Amino acid sequence: MARWFETHLPKIVLAPSFIAVLIFVYGFIGWTAWVSLTRSKLLPKYEIVGFIQYDRLFASPRWDTAMTNLYIFGGMFIVISMVLGLILAILLDQQIRVEGAIRTIYLYPMALSMIVTGTAWKWILNPGLGVQAMVQGWGFENFKFDWLVNPDMAIYTIVLAAIWQSSGFVMALFLAGLRSVDTEIIRAAQIDGIPTWRVYTAIIIPSMAPIFLSAFIVLAHLAIKSFDLVIALTGGGPGYATDLPATYMYAMAFSRGDVGQAASSAMIMMLVIFIIVVPYLYSELRAKND
Amino acid sequence: MARAVTPQRKVINTALAWGVGLLIFFPILWTILTSFKTEAQAIADPPLFLNFDWTLENYAIVQERSDYMRFLWNSVIIAGGSTLLGIVIAVPAAWSMAFVPGRWTKDILLWMLSTKMLPAVGVLYPIYLIFIKLGLLDSRGGLVVVLMLINLPIIVWMLYTYFKEIPGEILEAARMDGAGLREELLYVLTPMAIPGIASTVLLNIILAWNEAFWTLNLTAAKAAPLTAFIASYSSPEGLFYAKLSAASTMAIAPILILGWFSQKQLVRGLTFGAVK
Repeated sequence: MARWFETHLPKIVLAPSFIAVLIFVYGFIGWTAWVSLTRSKLLPKYEIVGFIQYDRLFASPRWDTAMTNLYIFGGMFIVISMVLGLILAILLDQQIRVEGAIRTIYLYPMALSMIVTGTAWKWILNPGLGVQAMVQGWGFENFKFDWLVNPDMAIYTIVLAAIWQSSGFVMALFLAGLRSVDTEIIRAAQIDGIPTWRVYTAIIIPSMAPIFLSAFIVLAHLAIKSFDLVIALTGGGPGYATDLPATYMYAMAFSRGDVGQAASSAMIMMLVIFIIVVPYLYSELRAKND
Repeated sequence: MARAVTPQRKVINTALAWGVGLLIFFPILWTILTSFKTEAQAIADPPLFLNFDWTLENYAIVQERSDYMRFLWNSVIIAGGSTLLGIVIAVPAAWSMAFVPGRWTKDILLWMLSTKMLPAVGVLYPIYLIFIKLGLLDSRGGLVVVLMLINLPIIVWMLYTYFKEIPGEILEAARMDGAGLREELLYVLTPMAIPGIASTVLLNIILAWNEAFWTLNLTAAKAAPLTAFIASYSSPEGLFYAKLSAASTMAIAPILILGWFSQKQLVRGLTFGAVK
């Protein structure tokens, strides 16, 4: 008995985590999928009627806005964070003094709750108080920076705050990548007299391809899940101009009493994440099993 | 990329890097500064930078009006409780995967990590219903369990990467000397695993401390932690910048200080082990 216990112990102690994740994630997603196929309104119903919730969802202008916002927000957020992150990583790789402290400062926005740091952003973006008021105070009376209250521009304030939050994180990932490039190759290139920018574009950056992919995956799933940012800065407003899928789902479930719509929107978000993450996991697994 | 940098370039680069650092830190700094202003000075035009009358009245008012200590206590219990519970469940799992790997270990690990990428909205409503049924809505115990489950994959992953760094030869040597499983765990592994466990605890406390999605949705007045408190405070738009800043400063101070004194763990934790 004791022998059996010792040989099977690894499996026994792994089981609680395995089962917890299995039920908590897949069990409940299954529930959401089921409800998305019913006529649930204020309370969930369990009689399957087909895809009417999805028909309603795709016909809804508010969902349309949320998805358009996701494309604008996600696209700009991912591209700009990666470019800034790379530039910052190259800068920090030039033998900066007290690098540890500066890395920590760059990472602080990621370590702090956006709900809380949103306080400062609301001040900065407030036309009557922050940047607009300050620049106008310097004598530039016509300067305008009213994105926060302008329905066409409000989504860009969310992009701005999201980039602020994540570029330090992307920098840290890229910095680790830069440090892992073989220094022999770089030295050889320098002896051959190849200019520094060519060394970066032709040798260093291409060899960091796997890190670009990881950074992309992390940023993409953060973009799709974004919730705190919108709640902290605009609450989805003006109107529903800055709704993202997560806040749409939240509004449907808790303030509009439309559980069916909430469930179907959650399933669409899930689908988008699967499309991005599954190929990545598949390639990771193949790489590791080889 | 290691290469020679002239001293002059080095000074310029350092100045540039610190300049960017200041820019990034500005919103945080501004919140801290504003918390020491009066309400009128907080919305002064043009903005006041350092030349204002420093005051502590905002902190006193926030505490008096909203019972800040209760929210802080909720945050401490929820973050600490979910972390402890998670560690208790995850340490054996990570130990098993790091030291007794089977055929499917890598797959299980990646699968667990992948669930962390799924949007929380997919599981929100069923959990909400279960909370109503069990009377867990607005209770600290319920949140402890949910946040533990949410972060469990991360805890397992982080512990695994740390445990992997413990050399297997040491275990073999201990076994050669006749150590049983109990001695091996207690006297050989535990002392070497403590630093990794400590960093994982730090990361998870930060994640749980910042959690807003679940705390906003599953708490009301009784069990609300600081994130929910700040969110509720900011609803009357623009009127209470100084007080809101004071409350915000109190909410971020523990993380700022904790992070500063454990920079290495912070960087490694936030990048999920990618940066060592």
